[in-house]
Order: sequence, then C-alpha cells, then structure tokens
Amino acid sequence: MRREPEHGVVGRPHPRIEAPDKVTGRARYSADVRLPGQLQARILRSPHPHARVVGVDTGAAAALPGVRAVISSADAPAIRWYEKSLLFDTTLRFAGDEVAAVAAETEEIAEDALRLIRVEYQPLPFNVSLEDGARGEADVYRRGDAARGLREAEVVVEQVYTTQTALHNALEPHGCVAAWEGERLVLYESTQGVFSVRDGVAEALGLAKDAVRVVTPHMGGGFGAKQIAWKHSVIAALLARRAGRPVQILLERDAENLAAGNRNATRQRVRLGARRDGTLTAVEARILMQVGAYSAGGESSAVAGIYSTLYRCANVHTEQVQVFTNTGPAIAFRAPGYAEGAFGLESAMDELARALRMDPIELRLRNYAERHQEKDKPYTSPESLRRCYERVKEASAAFERQHRGKRRRGIGFAAGDWIAGSGSPPGYAWVRLEDEQHATVITGAQDIGTGTRTALCQVAADELGLPLENVSIQIGDSGAGPYGPTSHGSTTLATLGPAVRAAAEAARENRHGEGARGPNPQGKAVRTCGAQCAQVEVDLETGEITVLRLAAAHDCGLVVNPLLVDSQVLGAVTQGVGFALFEERRVDRASGLVLNANLEEYKVPTAADAPEVRNVTLSMPDLEANVLGSKGIGEPPIIPAAPAIANAVFDAVGVRIRDLPLLREKLLEALGR
Amino acid sequence: MEATDLVLRVNGVERPLSVEPRRTLVDALRFDLGLTGTKKSCDMGDCGACTVMVDGRAEYACLRLAVDCAGHDVTTIEGLEKDGRMHALQRAFVEADALQCGFCTPGQIMSLAALLQAKPSPSPAEILRAVSGNLCRCGAYRNIVRAGTLAAQGGARRG
Amino acid sequence: MRPFSYSSARTLDEAIGLLGAGARPLAGGTDLLPLMKADLGHFDRLVDIKRLAALPRRIEENGEGVVLGALATLSELAASPTLQERYRALAQAADAAATPQLRNMATLGGNLLQRPRCWYFRHSRIPCWLKGGENCPARDGENREHALFGDAPCVAVHPSDPAAALLAFDADVRLVGRAGERTLALSDFLRLPSDRRRVETSLAEEELVSAVRLAPHPPETKSIYLKAMDRKVWAFALVSVAAVLRLAERRIAHARIVLGGVAPIPWRAHAAEAALVGQAAGAGVFERAAQAALEGARPLAGNGYKLPLARALVRRALGELADAA
Repeated sequence: MRREPEHGVVGRPHPRIEAPDKVTGRARYSADVRLPGQLQARILRSPHPHARVVGVDTGAAAALPGVRAVISSADAPAIRWYEKSLLFDTTLRFAGDEVAAVAAETEEIAEDALRLIRVEYQPLPFNVSLEDGARGEADVYRRGDAARGLREAEVVVEQVYTTQTALHNALEPHGCVAAWEGERLVLYESTQGVFSVRDGVAEALGLAKDAVRVVTPHMGGGFGAKQIAWKHSVIAALLARRAGRPVQILLERDAENLAAGNRNATRQRVRLGARRDGTLTAVEARILMQVGAYSAGGESSAVAGIYSTLYRCANVHTEQVQVFTNTGPAIAFRAPGYAEGAFGLESAMDELARALRMDPIELRLRNYAERHQEKDKPYTSPESLRRCYERVKEASAAFERQHRGKRRRGIGFAAGDWIAGSGSPPGYAWVRLEDEQHATVITGAQDIGTGTRTALCQVAADELGLPLENVSIQIGDSGAGPYGPTSHGSTTLATLGPAVRAAAEAARENRHGEGARGPNPQGKAVRTCGAQCAQVEVDLETGEITVLRLAAAHDCGLVVNPLLVDSQVLGAVTQGVGFALFEERRVDRASGLVLNANLEEYKVPTAADAPEVRNVTLSMPDLEANVLGSKGIGEPPIIPAAPAIANAVFDAVGVRIRDLPLLREKLLEALGR
Repeated sequence: MEATDLVLRVNGVERPLSVEPRRTLVDALRFDLGLTGTKKSCDMGDCGACTVMVDGRAEYACLRLAVDCAGHDVTTIEGLEKDGRMHALQRAFVEADALQCGFCTPGQIMSLAALLQAKPSPSPAEILRAVSGNLCRCGAYRNIVRAGTLAAQGGARRG
Repeated sequence: MRPFSYSSARTLDEAIGLLGAGARPLAGGTDLLPLMKADLGHFDRLVDIKRLAALPRRIEENGEGVVLGALATLSELAASPTLQERYRALAQAADAAATPQLRNMATLGGNLLQRPRCWYFRHSRIPCWLKGGENCPARDGENREHALFGDAPCVAVHPSDPAAALLAFDADVRLVGRAGERTLALSDFLRLPSDRRRVETSLAEEELVSAVRLAPHPPETKSIYLKAMDRKVWAFALVSVAAVLRLAERRIAHARIVLGGVAPIPWRAHAAEAALVGQAAGAGVFERAAQAALEGARPLAGNGYKLPLARALVRRALGELADAA
C-alpha cells in the first residue's frame, strides 16, 4: 500500500506533452528517418497461398541501375523463423509470404527491380477457411463438471457465434531503417516493443542483445501487430549489410494486411446453463480459432479466457483449438481473444436474460465473481465491476428505445474482463534531477500513442512536487534507458508508473534515482474490467445500423490523466464499432488470395461512424495491485463493444445475428426481407 | 525514364527539384524536399494521411504527380505555423487531445485548415464532413471534431 | 508505378495528337493513378489535359439546358446552386461520392470513365474476364457487392454516383477526337462490356469527354439520389437510386428511376417508370414501381440482399419526391 499522491499533478487532464510535435509534423516516425546514403527496400511476396519455390533468378534485378542489394532464398542465410520455417523459405505458406527483397536508391527503382525477379513457383494445395484448416491440439480448461451443470440447468442457451478475421491497419505501416555502425546495428523501428524487437533481431542475426539498438521516438499505431520482431527488420539489416548503407523498408498497405498480423477468426459453440433465478450452473465453450499459416508469437489470443472468469460458475469447460490455414499469421489485436470471446459469451448472456425474462444487469449481478476462479484468489478490487454496472446503468438511463416505425432503436448491454492490465515486473525507470526544479525521466520503453510519456511525467512530477512542465522524458530507445516492457496487454503504465514513482522517490535523495516495478500481490488477483451500454438505430427496410451512443464504465484503477483515459475509451469503442459492423478480411476460396488487403474494401470506421461515447470510467486507486494504484485501459473498452452493439440490434428489431460483422445482408435476411 | 526539372511552390517557397514523372507529390515532399510531416499510409487515396492543400483545397498527395503540381500552391503541415506560433487548429488539437499515435494528424489538420480557409465559421456537421476523408485508426474522431469546433470558435472570436 | 512520360498539352489538337495507344489523358488522376499503382494498366505517356482552355470547366446554363464541363470537379458539381436547385439528384450524387479530397480532385469526365471497383478486377494477381481473362471469378466467388442485372460476362457494378443521376436526367455526352466532335446520349455512351469491348463506355482511344449536357426540364421536376453503403461515408454504393419525378395535378407525368450498384453500368428501371407514369402518386403505386424496378434481377449467391435494399430505396426516393412536390 502507498499513500495517495499529494501534489495534484496526477489525476489532471493534461494534454499530452508530445502533442505539439505531432500537430506540427515535427514528430519523427520510422518512416520519416533519413540517414545519409539511405536506400529504400521492397519485398517480393508470394502470389500463391501455398507453393514451393523451385528457382529464383535475381540477376536482372541486381543489374538494374540504382539497385544496391538483393536477397532471396537463393542466397539468404538460413535464419529460423516462425518455429518451423526460414526467413526466406522455399515453401511459401500464404499469399504474401516473403520471397525476395531489393534495396535501391529509390522506392521506384526497388519496385522496378522486383518486377525483374524471375521466380518459378510450384503451386501446392491450400486451404484458407476456418472450417477446412489443419487443427492443432485442444487447449482444455475444466472446473467442476459442466455436463452435470447443464443437466441440472432449468434453462439452457446453446448457440454458435462466429467472429471474422480483422485487420489492424495502423495508419503507419510496419517499417524500419536499419543502419550498421561497425558490428552494431541500429534499428529505427515502428514497434510497440523496442526490447522485444532488439531481442528477436539479435537472435536472428546471431548478435549479442546489446549489439542491437532499437529506437522508436514515435510510432503510428500498432494495436498489437507491432509487438514482435517481424521479418522485415532482419531483411533490412541483411540488405544494409550487403549494400554497406542504411536501408529503409516500409510495408505497402497490401503487405501490411497480408503479412503483418490479423485478429483470428473464431467459431464458438457455447452452452450456458442456469436456474430460473438466473444462477449459472454451467458455462461451456468449444472454440476454433484461425491462426493462419504460422504462430507468429507475441501475446496469445485467449478466446476461452473470458468464459472462465467473468461470471461466478462452479462448472466450466472450455476448449480452444488452433486452426492453421494458408493465410497470413494472426497476432494479438487489441484485447486478443477477449474481444472475440466476449462476443460469444455476452451475446449468449443476453439470450439467457431474454429466456429468463430477466434484466441483463440483474442477471450479471446474480453471477457476480469476486474471485478469480481460475487462480482461486480474491480480486484486489472485488467491487469495481459492480460499480461499473451501476455507473453504466446511470449513464445510459436516457438511452430510449423505439419499437415502432421503420427506424427502430434499441439498447444493449455487455460486460468484459481482461486477462492483463495489471502490469508486472520487470520494468525499470530512472529519474534524474537536473536542478532543484527540473527532472528527467528515462526509460527504454516506448510511447505507442497512448500517452505513456505524459502519464509517466505526471507520476514523476507528482512525486517530486514539481510542475509537469519541469519534467521531461527520454523514451523509446533500447540503448539509452533501462528495460521497459512491450506495450501490450494494457500494461505499460501499470508496470512503469510504479517504477517511475520509486525512481523519483530515490532521486529526491540522490539526484539520480533508479526504480523497479515491484511484484504483484501474491494472494490476490488483479482485474481490469468494465461494462458498456450501446444505443443503436436500425433501419428495418435497408438494414442500416447506426450506433448512436455508447456508455462505457471501466475500472483502470487510479486515473493518472482523465484526458488520455477518455481517448483510450473513445478509440477502443470506435474500433469496436468497426469490428461489430463492417470490418472483415475477405479471402477468395478459389485462388486463396485476399481480396481486400487495402483501406478501400477493408472498411474501418470513419468520423461519421463514431458514436457519441459517454465515458464514465471509475477512478478507483487499486493500491493492492501496485503502489501507484493504476491499471491498464487501452484494451478493455473494445471487449464489450461488439456484443453491446449486437445486443442492442436484437433489442431494436428482435432478430439476433450471431455472426460478425453485422452486415446488411445478414440483417435483411434475418428480418425476412 | 528521364528526370524532369520542375519548381514546386511549397509553403510559399519556390523549391526546384528533379524527379521522374511517376514521382508522386507525397514522395516528392517526403523524399526530395525533406518535408516528412505529410504522411504516407495507403498510397492509394484510401486513407487521407497525405492530405495537403493544393491552391487552398484539400487533396491527397499520393494521387497527384509532382510534375502535375508545378505552378500550383502546395501547403503542407509545415506551412501552417506563422512566426513560430501554431495555427489555431494545431493548438485546438493539442487541447482537445484530438490525436493519439499522431500519424493521421497532419492530414486531419490540413483537411480542416482548408475548410476554415473557405468557411471560417463552419457547423459541427461541416467539420465532421471535412474530415470524413481522413481515417484515424486510433479512433480520435470525436475529439478531432471537437478540436475543429474549438478552432473555429477561436477564429470567430479573433475575427 | 512503372515509368512513363508526361506531357502537358497546350491545345486540344496537341492533346488529341498525343493520345492513342499507350497514352492516357490525365485530369484528376484519382482512378488512373490507383490503376497504374496496382499495375492494372500501363501507359507510356500521360497527357495532362487540365490546362486546356478548349475543354470547358464551368457549369453553364444556356438555351439548350445546363452544360457541365468535363473538367468540373465533383466538389464543383455538389456546390453548384444551379444543380442544387434544378438537378438536385446530381448535386447529391456528386456530394455522396468518395471524400472531400477526392471530390476536389476528381473530374466529371474521369468520373464517367472510371473503372469498376470489383475486388477481382482490382487484384493485380487475378486474371478476370474484364482484364482479358477467361472468366469472371466473382460470379461464383465473393460477390456481395456485385451485379443483379446486365447479363454480361462481367458482374462488376458501375462505381459512379453521378453517372446514375445523369442518366436519370437523360444527359448527353460531348466527345472530341481526331474526327472532330460528336454527341452521344449517356445511355449510348455507357455500354455493357462485351467480348469485343471489355470496357464500360464507347469512348474511342483518341477521344476525350469534353462536356455533359443536361436537357432543360420544367421547374416542377423533382429529383433525389439515395445511396446505401457499408459505412456512413466513403464507400462505393451497395445500391443507390437516382429518381426524377414530375407531377401534374397529382398524376405522374414523367419518371426516371436509375439504380446504381446493380449492374456493370447504371441501370435504368424502365418497368418501374412505366408503372409510375400516368398514375396518381401514392404509396401503392410506389410499391408497385419498387417491385417492377427489380423485375428480371438475377441475384448471385452473396448479393440477394440488394433486392429488398433497392426496393426500399426506390420506395423511399419516390415517397420523398411526392412529399416535396
């Protein structure tokens, strides 16, 4: 336990400190790096979903004026990748798999050179759908006896819910500049984890970790897809070594959507059993998840997770099975697994509430979990989800229904918890007092656009009793600061905030302080969670859905900066709207090719699609979780969004779509039009 | 293909350069003129990150050839500050937290700058429409519209 | 993009002289450049026609109706008071297209000439019929966005919003080429692609669209353009409808119903028009017109929803026009 902050800097809605750089165009992203002699590289990708490379001839490409280096399976070192494959493998397992690469004076020349590479492919049989793919072993979790729980149930909901493959589409594509300084490599990488990229690239190249330095001053969005070292970074390093010059590689939008991760599609067969009073007697979920051609690494997608923790239930059976297909590898995408799992569980809970004629919040309170049932530990904030239910109920009290006319309105409710968000060691920070009035925070970790810079400076300023303007920060350079975590799992602030606090405290004594993130509590579990209520309008004749308003209440512990928390909630909800309504990768079954690896046909929300969001997130310091009392907020608000919207659609028009996204064709068909 | 010599007028300054006809305006800005504030994201006119003003109108710089812009006035995000002071929109974006990762931000601001130039007191609906061709994957839209409103009000007050 | 040369033509003759095989005129470039970037078309030469004094740019009203310069941008069409007052469906269609930036760039001429957005056509690795391949992969593939009508070897839909509205106003297209000027009804200019001509217009290779003419019509003529998309803005139409209606003493004296998003070219619903003309305006008549508009539709596996959607839009368009009359 720690005392409350004293100096009033924490908790204030301060604009993010790097904002002036971002609004003036001065903020430098990986794509903006320009080193002397820098070359531009492009990657040639497989046009087949599954093929063997019989031969590659790069001679003409290498001879093109302006080309400085070429690499392919014919001459690349055998660097292991994706466990079972190589950096440049002769077996290509999805359309978009890397075949060769060229570094040239300009992007245009590199592109010309790619057209001159002759590759002989031997196409192989392929499958691209969740139904047809090769299944891995089931990952099973059992608590109690779900079969008995179902037998004892007075009401059973049994349904299949499916979610689509979604594409991250961060506006800054993956990319880096690789520059050798003797035997040391500097990577200006667009990443969520400077240390994870450092480690992955060092291992691939057989270098010591400290021979690789990864620099990320700013990065243009990741949402989970930029948390590992991807092939392009190693390719850039190899090309740079061959050319003797720095090499910049930026993925084109289609490559970004083919080969740099996606949210796995799922099929969830769900059975909920309950007594008439609403008490859950069984939760069962059998889940298929499409991981694509490879396990890319990074956070796992725990689709089953939410089924075993969100509600109190003695009898739980979940199993999730990975399905391998000839499509790009899946990787974490904002609340990986939980966003998908919540659609199944929270749709089913809504169906159960209807079957029981119970208020959906009442049903959830009836099955309220105060303990983490998998870990068999009480939560550090056992009451926070209850508070979220209350607040979201209040905030949505004015959301009206309209059950007459052509344009119907309905409201829908959903909750969610999240596997992470607690933060954990290791995570380190230094604080240096420049003089009596000025301090600098130093950590190697990166700010991915969530406001880490600002929040950490607020924590330090608060501890030091300085105005925020007097605290600056060095961040995003694995060579210039102590270790910090990958920004995934909504953990950055919860991991580094306490470390900064400790460092600031130490700095008060010695002008230079080093802080480490302490351990999480032993006997308790830390939970981040929340609840949302959506109001939608559905046009009965055209099937058009409009998300009008959405109330969101989340528990992220102590709110360090309400402005930044508000932005995280807005952003997650907006992505949730896209996931609910129209985002979907389309793969042609005949050719195995992705048809919409672009931002035209892969539709992400526009300004006109974003609903009014009423963010009523709690600020409830969770001082048992860590000495700062803060937990993560980046991911949790996407978790309940899609089911809340789908439940609201049901409320409006009385038909239930169990298959995301909620496209017009599904709605119009269900409405019998 | 031979490079062509041309002069681009960018942010009020004549900038000579020599590029192939296939060089797009966004690449010319970013690679030949060092103006990396304009971002390239989809390169197909589907996202708006490369929005600049050409003769005062918002356009996608990825769908203009550099050679095609000779004789036109190009304004980029770097051209909005006057005498070291941020444009009202830039200040409003900071205040309203109308950005997260910031990669779409220059494009959003240029779309709104074109709107405010043509119409100093737009309605919230007009502000929303003006940025409807600028994707923000972080989902800062509500705050972007709020920033536009703040800037317009500030402009009106000063006017 | 592959390399090409660039010429800025000073006169119309010069521009036309530079056109021909391997050359393309460049105006807004909002479709040409994406096609070239996706390597779907390669041209040795682009001829900038934006500065040609001979190509009218303005929107001018004269005794023959309203003449829209081919170089007028979609923004200019959307903002034109003449169009907003008298040819509202066209102003609405221009305004519903694309994004503010694209509307600032895209010209009317280019808009009529743009190629389909079909994801098979736009995929550089897929040899579809329209690109010279053997067959249409969309017919048995992913076809939720595809055609209900046309009976063509291609099931892509026409992407233009303004074209549907222009067809509803019986517009003419003026073309200039080596052989001089010619004028075609838009309904003749827009053509279903065929084995002989795998393109959606009858424009010759050395021809340019110079203007589009809207015939005058009585002031009581009302029109509307409605568009259904996957998201609120910035998408091509799943289905759209341009409707023009003139009532004389509550009876329908003139009607045009054109559907977008349902055929390789904007699709005039003659049967719907026939169901309307001579009838008293009212919900029953509108419902019959909506049913008639979709007669003969042949839905594919994924696009059957377009039938009820199109009927709903037709009903709604007519209802709004009758209310406004």
